[in-house]
Amino acid sequence: MVTFKELSYVYAPDMPYKTTALDRVDLDITEGKITAIIGKTGSGKSTLVQHLNALLLPTSGTLEIEGYTIKAGEKTSKLKELRRKVGLVFQFSEYQLFEETIIKDVAFGPKNFGVSEEEALERAKKALELVGLDPSYYQRSPLDISGGQKRRAAIAGILAIEPEIIVLDEPTAGLDPKGAKEMIGLFAMLNKKMHKTIIIVTHDNEIVYDFADDVTLLDGGKVVCKMKAHDFFAERELLESHDIYRPRIVYLKELLKDKGIMIPDDIHTLADLAAFWRDHE
Amino acid sequence: MNNIVFGKYIPLDTPIHRLDPRAKILAMLIALVAIFIPAGWYGYGIIAVVILFVIHLSKIKLKVIFKAFKPMIFMMCFLLVINVLSVKEGALLLDLGFLEIYSKAIIDTLYIIVRLLLMIMITTILTMTTKPLDLTLGIEYLLTPFKKIGVPAHEIAMIISIALRFIPTIIEETMRIMNSQKSRGVDFEEGKLKEKISAIISLIVPLFSVSLLRADELANAMEARGYVPQAPRTRYRRLKYERRDLILVIGAFLLLALMITLAIVI
Repeated sequence: MVTFKELSYVYAPDMPYKTTALDRVDLDITEGKITAIIGKTGSGKSTLVQHLNALLLPTSGTLEIEGYTIKAGEKTSKLKELRRKVGLVFQFSEYQLFEETIIKDVAFGPKNFGVSEEEALERAKKALELVGLDPSYYQRSPLDISGGQKRRAAIAGILAIEPEIIVLDEPTAGLDPKGAKEMIGLFAMLNKKMHKTIIIVTHDNEIVYDFADDVTLLDGGKVVCKMKAHDFFAERELLESHDIYRPRIVYLKELLKDKGIMIPDDIHTLADLAAFWRDHE
Repeated sequence: MNNIVFGKYIPLDTPIHRLDPRAKILAMLIALVAIFIPAGWYGYGIIAVVILFVIHLSKIKLKVIFKAFKPMIFMMCFLLVINVLSVKEGALLLDLGFLEIYSKAIIDTLYIIVRLLLMIMITTILTMTTKPLDLTLGIEYLLTPFKKIGVPAHEIAMIISIALRFIPTIIEETMRIMNSQKSRGVDFEEGKLKEKISAIISLIVPLFSVSLLRADELANAMEARGYVPQAPRTRYRRLKYERRDLILVIGAFLLLALMITLAIVI
């Protein structure tokens, strides 16, 4: 369990333009699940996830993660070990690539955490395979491949560290729809087969509905609610008051309901809906 | 990284803020020359009083100016060491056996430090009370006469304003890349020399590639809007000299004249 207790974070606390990015956040994130963090731009999502591997330290309050307790104002030792356990993929992570070849760049992370050269290269190959980069790319420079492939290489760079918790800040922004779907499919697979905890920041509610177990909604640095994803999108008033668009399937079900056609609650995909209808014809 | 105070514009409405940027730049240059005239301690006293008066007028807090001194402390210590080791004139102040400290070494160092501090104060006043855009506009106007001998005044001003505009962007970019690499186990604070070098490379290479990318995008965006450096252009903001600007420049010249007189007399 990852637990935020009364955690606040203030940018530039001594300056006249100080901003409270997180305001007394209380939040539990269940391990082994896929948790989506949603909210408007500036609601504190990125600030929240940067606490997870101690890139940002709380201004007040505490965070418990992977056996570490990070308390405001107290120095926590062995942050590096925490960063090995919690892998964070940044927004526009493609800009972090710098080595001469892609495979060396992906092996950079594990090597920093004390893995031997051969083992690191082995892990890099495995990670690149997972993200779907063809072996013909391994020896190419990360600076002259396409944006989407750079993103894959950057994500592989974190996967090669083999973290327990994988945190992704808008991993699909700027990817084409097919690429985005493949990417999310990969995270779902890592969650199901390798039991990794996935925490994902996204603006794509289709992804949230199809893949996430839990949803946390942030607004103005505060946690509005934390719910099961399917329950969350059934809360019509809550969604409307926060300007959250509903996934297609939810919208379709609501339209049908308004027309007096009842659809069982446990139908969550268009395929299920089609099957349901075929059985009732 | 986020608290780079040195020279950051502070939006206020004071007589100093309202001055014409050209007059301010000119006055600054004259004052800098004045500082380099060896007019003795009286001279520096007078300059210091004038500067403090200007700071008072501009409503900049002294604390902020002192913050700008901080990066200089290391250099000052370095200067002191060099001078103590090399200057062997004046009265012997302290004999440590292996090292003798003479009064002239201390006095010379103080001279340099005072000059440096006065210079920093003047330039800080200029950049803190003048909008970056006005500053570059002022530079462009002042360079215009030199166009005749082939100085690209407009281009220089454009380069400066673009550079100023991108400082915060680059800082933000640096922070983000640093955080990305920290997530990949890079330790920027500790580690052996070899690890440190690899850490810096992991920061510099992406930063360069991002900067080049940004430059390319900006160049395209400017071309798309029909920017041609040589083309004649009109301006939204025009600079106009007022009486107070004349007074400032005359005041600066008087200060310079006073320093020269002091230097000759003493």
